[in-house]
Amino acid sequence: MKILIIGASGGLAQILIQILKSNEPDIQVLGIDNRSCENLFRAPGIEYIQMKYTRGNFENLFRHHEFNTVYHLARQTHTSHTNSIITQRMDFAMLGTARILELCELSGIQNLVFLSTFHVYGALSDNPVFISENAPLRASLQFPELRDVVEMDQLCEAWMWKNQGKIKTVLLRPCNIIGTQVNNTMTRYLSGPISVSPMDYSPHFQFLHEFDMANILYRSMKELPTGIYNIAADDFVSLEEAFKITKTRPLRIPMSMAAILNYGLKQVKLDLPDYLISYLRYSCLISNGAIKKVLGDNFLRFSTRDALGAIRLK
Amino acid sequence: MLALSNTDKKKIERIIRTMKKEYPEGTDPWGLNLELAEKTLKFLTPLYRSYFKVRLIGAEKIQNKSYVVISNHSGQIPIDAILISMAFLLDVESTHLIRPMVEKFMATLPFINKYASALGAVLGDRQNAHYLLERKQSILVFPEGVKGITKNSPDFYKVQDFTQGFYRMAATHQTAILPLAVIGAEEMYPFVIHASGLGKWMGLPSLPLSLNLLPLPSPIDIYIGDEFTPSDKENEKSIQHNVFLIEQQIKKMILLGLAKRRPFFDFIRKPISHFIIKEFRKKKP
Repeated sequence: MKILIIGASGGLAQILIQILKSNEPDIQVLGIDNRSCENLFRAPGIEYIQMKYTRGNFENLFRHHEFNTVYHLARQTHTSHTNSIITQRMDFAMLGTARILELCELSGIQNLVFLSTFHVYGALSDNPVFISENAPLRASLQFPELRDVVEMDQLCEAWMWKNQGKIKTVLLRPCNIIGTQVNNTMTRYLSGPISVSPMDYSPHFQFLHEFDMANILYRSMKELPTGIYNIAADDFVSLEEAFKITKTRPLRIPMSMAAILNYGLKQVKLDLPDYLISYLRYSCLISNGAIKKVLGDNFLRFSTRDALGAIRLK
Repeated sequence: MLALSNTDKKKIERIIRTMKKEYPEGTDPWGLNLELAEKTLKFLTPLYRSYFKVRLIGAEKIQNKSYVVISNHSGQIPIDAILISMAFLLDVESTHLIRPMVEKFMATLPFINKYASALGAVLGDRQNAHYLLERKQSILVFPEGVKGITKNSPDFYKVQDFTQGFYRMAATHQTAILPLAVIGAEEMYPFVIHASGLGKWMGLPSLPLSLNLLPLPSPIDIYIGDEFTPSDKENEKSIQHNVFLIEQQIKKMILLGLAKRRPFFDFIRKPISHFIIKEFRKKKP
């Protein structure tokens, strides 16, 4: 069995590859990434290729290999705002994803696991508590820069139903993934000695430990039937409580000031993505009913609080 | 004068202790925060007792179970929701937390959003209501919506048409509906005109123009009506009929309450109110 992992240099992909190798010693994994592939987990049967995400490169890849399963874990960061990067990101998200899906269909793969995010729902003032998988994806209404993640998700969803009988497709929308190996904005935000905290709002968060997420990715290939699944623990915490657990000192400011502060930081390219600031105002809690129905109530090893506690183990 | 009495202090501490058994983490997904709720209750209770002098009439009708509480909406700002919630906590034998369903606009307001949620307020969304009723919690709904709270002085205590969502929710979850009427909240802002056009232009649900900025100490009476449990075989006709009956019950309680209303600067308020009503009717026959 040969597996293609797109975005293999990421911390999450690295944990997944280790889980795959320990559970299926004979497995063949090809990891591709446009970032450097040095200092990654190596073992017999695991190969990495550093390549640009272009149509030609992907066509070559699918021409020379016969994949059973494809993990699409690649996503470009939202922290840069220059026009060229936005264009590149949109190109990768919309055209790149469409090309990959087209090649998956043509090459006759059996499983596709697509990692989306709960950011597609958006942090809006009128979010109901526990958003289900059927909820509209409203993130880009408020933040057009999130159009890529919403488009990628919707492309995959449409493709999933189109190929329903032929290819098993699992679309995952996890909450905030944190841990010592993933290098994302939320992990950095929570693991610093001091971080901005809202004085005038009290949003709630769900956190997912990187190990749990990697384990769900592995189990998606084996156990989950075609469908869309939110991934989150049962518990949730307020940001104040999260800071207490991670021992981060909160710098309390009104959120209107955070927008001004972020504008200032934008000038020196140290800003947070605007959409993340909206998460400091309004909660975006997702339901985990769909995945629980398949994997059972204890499908995660770490609760939100455990995941936060583990962030300091770096 | 506005100090927290020892009895109330002990009562609030007992309420929070009881609630901690239900919410061991001290919080819930809608933003309830027992630590902040205790502080807020201790701050607001003297205002509840001595400023608004709230009376809960018919408290003995409230049982220790889940309700869809229905009320008329009044007072320009949603103080009525806070006072009803406090009455159910402070003046009912069993600890009864009711969750007011608030307007979407409220959820966007800094600080207000935080403190209202800490006290139990929840965004008025059907999915939220369903989750809460599933968990056997009580919710407080104002079926008049924003129209109820954005009335000009001449329209005070005129109950606007009820929406039917609350009834359908109660029927789905087989939860009793408890109607109540709030008297006195309209007089907190006795002279109000709504600049609807300007409000819309500013993106606000309403823009009340009032002579006073802070609410006046109008005494508040909350009348509890008779509970009504919808059957599990409701149809469109029966829903319409029963919502009408509940609306009538609230209207009756308002008339009764107005007849027994405690005086509040009547010597000055009444002549001005009559003048405004006369002038308003001249313009809008």
